[in-house]
Amino acid sequence: MQLLKVHRTFPKLKQLITRRYAQALQREQDEYTDQPIYPPILDMTSKGKKKRERERTRENIKNINTVEEKQIALNMPRYYGWECVMLTEDSVPYNAMPMVQHYTRTHFKPVDSLPDVYQDSSSMADTVVQEIKSAIEDCIVIENEGIQRKITTVLNKNAEAQRENAQARNIVKQINRIITNNLSDKVSHILSSQVDYDPRHEAFWFVGGVDIPPKVFFGRRKKGWPKEAALEPVNRPVQYLGIPLLTLRNHLPLKPVIPYSECENPEFKVAQFSTLPKSVGYSADFRHGTNIPGFWPGDFDEFGLISYHGRGHMLARPESFGTEDNLEALHCQAMKTSFGWLLAQANYQGFTTYNDLTYPLVTQTVITNGNLISFYVYQLNTISMHNDDLDNPKHNICMGTKPMNLYDTIENGKVKGLNDDVLKMLVQFYLNAPEEREHDMKPYLGKEEQFVADIEDDNKRSWLESTYKHLMSNRPKHKLLPETYLWERIYKIEHNTRFFEAKRRPFELGTNPFIRRLDDHLPPYIPKALRPYPRCRKKFETTYYPKV
Amino acid sequence: MSTRWYPIYQKGNPQLRVFLPNFWMKLVRPYEKQQPNIVHFHCSMEMTKYDIKNYLEKIYNVPVVDVRTKIALGKFKKEIVKGYITKDEDVKVAYVTLPKTHKFEFPNIFEEKKSSEDDAKALEETKKTFKKFLEKNKDRTDVPSWFSI
Repeated sequence: MQLLKVHRTFPKLKQLITRRYAQALQREQDEYTDQPIYPPILDMTSKGKKKRERERTRENIKNINTVEEKQIALNMPRYYGWECVMLTEDSVPYNAMPMVQHYTRTHFKPVDSLPDVYQDSSSMADTVVQEIKSAIEDCIVIENEGIQRKITTVLNKNAEAQRENAQARNIVKQINRIITNNLSDKVSHILSSQVDYDPRHEAFWFVGGVDIPPKVFFGRRKKGWPKEAALEPVNRPVQYLGIPLLTLRNHLPLKPVIPYSECENPEFKVAQFSTLPKSVGYSADFRHGTNIPGFWPGDFDEFGLISYHGRGHMLARPESFGTEDNLEALHCQAMKTSFGWLLAQANYQGFTTYNDLTYPLVTQTVITNGNLISFYVYQLNTISMHNDDLDNPKHNICMGTKPMNLYDTIENGKVKGLNDDVLKMLVQFYLNAPEEREHDMKPYLGKEEQFVADIEDDNKRSWLESTYKHLMSNRPKHKLLPETYLWERIYKIEHNTRFFEAKRRPFELGTNPFIRRLDDHLPPYIPKALRPYPRCRKKFETTYYPKV
Repeated sequence: MSTRWYPIYQKGNPQLRVFLPNFWMKLVRPYEKQQPNIVHFHCSMEMTKYDIKNYLEKIYNVPVVDVRTKIALGKFKKEIVKGYITKDEDVKVAYVTLPKTHKFEFPNIFEEKKSSEDDAKALEETKKTFKKFLEKNKDRTDVPSWFSI
């Protein structure tokens, strides 16, 4: 090393010197064992190699220390983002249940009352309901008749739906205020919980066991893959987007509704839905996968208790869908929102779509328009549903009620027929206390470094922080996206009429610009004036992309 | 009523009397695997979603839940002799969703292929002829096959 510092040619010189006094290494005595030991036999077919490669990637992501780096690692293979199937909270096509169930691996159980774990809080809820009843009636009357709010609507969504959601948002805010005020001195977890208004809920995962898009199939055939290989399944990236009206979260997770071992029950198995999502009315979009449960990593209150969602989109559904499908649409909305929120929370605990949960997470979802209320309890048991994990026995469970009326009518400034049972159920959701778990909550995160903020190195920390936030923002690229123009498709790709021209475009060079890796770019240039003195040869800034 | 341009009335027979409607729908086989309650159609470019729904409901009594449409780009083809590029007409494609209790399977319009028994028989026949040919030319290996009476 000393010589190296003197001049950089020394290591090369060292190679030229012959090693005259060197001799063969002496054999170790215990080289032989009683039983012959062989290295493991590996599948050396291309399929086997690819499978090992995927396993290595998953293992690498698992070994990353911080939450943010894991999220960047999920997005590493695509510079322009994944072509995600977009699942939004407020658009449910006809007969959506089979697809939503397969994509979230959820067994749905219709119930009339809350599950057994809520029995303990029953008597307390009764007293609370009697205390808050008049306040709730007042707030419903005032929000419906006493106040005229100016609601601004956007043009790209149904105006009526937006108005109903805005109305529901106001009522939910009031109801939440009344219940939390009443409960804050009765139960300890309410005071320590945080309330979010219109938070940003996003979740990203991969779904296996689905047909490959024709684009992929024909692309592979064009490259000369045999037909069977071209039909090899691919994971479909899925992105959920939703904005609840209001959420409550705490630093402790809720108790599981059913025991964790129960989730492997074959009764909960959901039917496979392999048809292309496009064929039933879902769209796909290029974007970086984001997992955001309404707060940034490192927040203290990282487990959800309750989320309220609007049901305005039901007004935008055509009449021909029928009431039965409308009910299913509500269930679908509940499954999507609950799964999406819990998945994002699980990601902040260090699990990803590649590294499955080791314990269950629970959330409570309320879908309401200010009068009609439906309650859902969702237990997340598994988040791994990619192609290599298709025989995963675990399933998620969602229990939900039908929509019920909170009150009958409002007459002469009075609420008629306030439904105590419905209000009681809502109070019971608030009374369901989160609990400290005995197991390790973050097994896949580092001991010292769990978030980027814990990293000591200033450069690395700030670089990772800004890269993470930039990816999660999904801001459009500064430069135009690569595009094959129609004239090129006609005169260059489909019909080779311009064979004499120089081949410079990606399709002529046989590359696909959309399969570019995230780190496949030149890092920012350091101008000479800014380089550390004296004579630094480093021209480009360091990047800290996770190695996966 | 039709907006087609028909030839101007001329005296004499035969006369063009059939007035064809603007609206037509053609059932097509889906390219990819579909849900059993989704049916694909090609239809005339002027038809809207509502027209498609009414067409199926009023004329054929088919219950329609939802209609999605798109306009598919026509294929580009090369003119064989002159070599310039031509384009086929665009088509409007309608994806019609039936109630989930309904199932539709695209019918097999063309008759089935000949049975494998016939194929085997034909193959056997060919083999026999070829063997006969070999037998005939056994003694004249250097002579081309066309050189015979």
